[in-house]
Amino acid sequence: MDNTMSRHHGSLGERVLKGVPASPGVAIGRAFVLSVDSPTIRHDRIRSEDIDAELARFAGAVEVSTAELHRAVEIARTEKGTVTSIIESFVHIVNDPTITAAIIDRIRHGYPAESAVVAEYDTHKAVLYGARDAFMRERAQDLEHVKERLLAAMRNRHMSHAAAADSVVVAGSVTPQDMLFFKQNSTLGFITEVGGINAHTSILARDIGIPAVIGVRNATSDIPRNATIIVDGYSGLIIVDPTPATIAEYEEKRLRAEAYRQRLGELREKDSTTTDGVHVALLANIDTPDDVDVAMMQGCEGVGLVRTEFLLVHLGRYPSLEEQTAWYRDIADRAFPQPVTFRAFDVGSDKFREGIPHHEDNPALGLRGIRFLLYRPDIFAQQVFAVLRASVNRNVRFMLPMVSVYEELQQAKQIIEACRKALMAEGVEFDHEMPVGVMIETPAAALLADVFARETDFMSIGTNDLAQYALATDRTNELVADIFDACHPSVLRMIRMVVDAAEMHGRSVSVCGELAGHAAATEMLVGLGIRELSVTPRLLLEVKQRVRTTSNTEARQLVEQLLRCTSTLGVHALLTGSR
Amino acid sequence: MIETHVHVVNRAGLHTRPAAMLVKIASRFKSEVYLMRDGFSINAKSIIGVMTLAAEQGAQLGLTVIGEDEREAADAIVQLFASGFDEP
Repeated sequence: MDNTMSRHHGSLGERVLKGVPASPGVAIGRAFVLSVDSPTIRHDRIRSEDIDAELARFAGAVEVSTAELHRAVEIARTEKGTVTSIIESFVHIVNDPTITAAIIDRIRHGYPAESAVVAEYDTHKAVLYGARDAFMRERAQDLEHVKERLLAAMRNRHMSHAAAADSVVVAGSVTPQDMLFFKQNSTLGFITEVGGINAHTSILARDIGIPAVIGVRNATSDIPRNATIIVDGYSGLIIVDPTPATIAEYEEKRLRAEAYRQRLGELREKDSTTTDGVHVALLANIDTPDDVDVAMMQGCEGVGLVRTEFLLVHLGRYPSLEEQTAWYRDIADRAFPQPVTFRAFDVGSDKFREGIPHHEDNPALGLRGIRFLLYRPDIFAQQVFAVLRASVNRNVRFMLPMVSVYEELQQAKQIIEACRKALMAEGVEFDHEMPVGVMIETPAAALLADVFARETDFMSIGTNDLAQYALATDRTNELVADIFDACHPSVLRMIRMVVDAAEMHGRSVSVCGELAGHAAATEMLVGLGIRELSVTPRLLLEVKQRVRTTSNTEARQLVEQLLRCTSTLGVHALLTGSR
Repeated sequence: MIETHVHVVNRAGLHTRPAAMLVKIASRFKSEVYLMRDGFSINAKSIIGVMTLAAEQGAQLGLTVIGEDEREAADAIVQLFASGFDEP
């Protein structure tokens, strides 16, 4: 994505804006810019003889908006997904008895209709903005949309949806009903200034299959009317006045995207289940809150790994408790109600020097992962506090990296327990049953998997490190790199041991290493008994596609053969043969 | 008058869609339906009232139904909450 940015920045006349990708796809067309309508609302009192007229104006606006929404419901019925219920809930909002009574009351007390509507809706919006989770906060936008429609109806303003035919709509925000009317008039894409991946506008754009980029600050002032623009709903880029070469490039991308979309897009809504009915949960590995949105768009079932050390690298220092809590909370909120697994800082002197006392000759076998965290319990405890605070909506799990001996787990659990008690004493709300698990990345942990399974809530296998330590190979060292292979029979046998131990103790076990996203490995991992794969977001649909063409029965037979292989080559020959 | 309690069991809480379902069902009855939380009460036939309760998973709400069909109304609403609004 960075490449694209710099290249386009350098091109003559082109401008690139960046937003949040909300609905995938590419659109190329003319900009239909809706200037942000901020009417002046009079708050001065009206004369008593005008009250009836104001009441009638309000009632008329409710009637017009309701009729418009009913028309939208009719269109919505032809669309898939949740469109209809979203529009129906808008009908309820417009006709809400509480708010209607309150608005009428205000008008009777001499306020103009607009002022009464704004005052009531804004009060309720404020309450929703104060809600605990992001999902509720984004519902405030629903109220804003209804309010805007009522205000427009009172001023007899009606949007001309036909004027946006074969164009890209650029607006402050777009109401769900307008989005449907635009779609009927062959609108190509949407760009909005407001954000929120869970906002109904985003959900709707995805449901009706129109590319959209949201959260583009000043879009309506920065994009000239009728300018040619490209909307890239995958990366969130918008290119204003593209050169012919860029247009050609995106036209090709659009065609490719359409083919890809047809092939994989339908997959998003489908279950990740083998041909013989075994469900394999697909989760995402992520670094930042924005990654959550991208992952959720691919229809994943949660976040299997948050690499929290990204925050250290990003800041170049250890974050404060407040910074960490906000960061984790944001991630957990965006994924809600799906689960999120935070892995404690996984640092070693090769990745992040600060806090490590002296140079290590062999960082891979040194003070890293849980060892470092136990060496610096202050840093560890602060992270535990932040993760616990982010667990308030009960969709958070916590995972310890690079555990190799049992004592490390014991000590870590003692610190976590102490943090829990401290938070309880403070009266802070958090999930008292937040699951705690371990990464299985060392042969010692794999061999002791039954002990770890008994003492933790879940396990996750990091295949890169496990293979590196099992084969005693640094894969970045070209002299020995050819020995490294996560499909080596020794690694497969260890994965099998971990799965067996997890089953015995009724624990879940996932694979979150690179192997989980490896094309040939899906069938093998399913056959080994893995029921949770966590991969980089862009691979989610491809892995799902492979799960759906895998037969668990055949995969198990394949694995029996793989486990008897004497070498990596044997494994790969069988894996290629099975495809 | 019937007074009882309901629990929010669906993971996403009383967001717009469940709120709309609740309002739809409450509005079918002649009785007045109120939900109580933290000492304030809202009209369950008002979607904004229901949404601004901001009731998340695990929340316990008081339910009061007053009117000629209060038994049927209370049963239907208790059932709706127990079903988790057909959501996970």
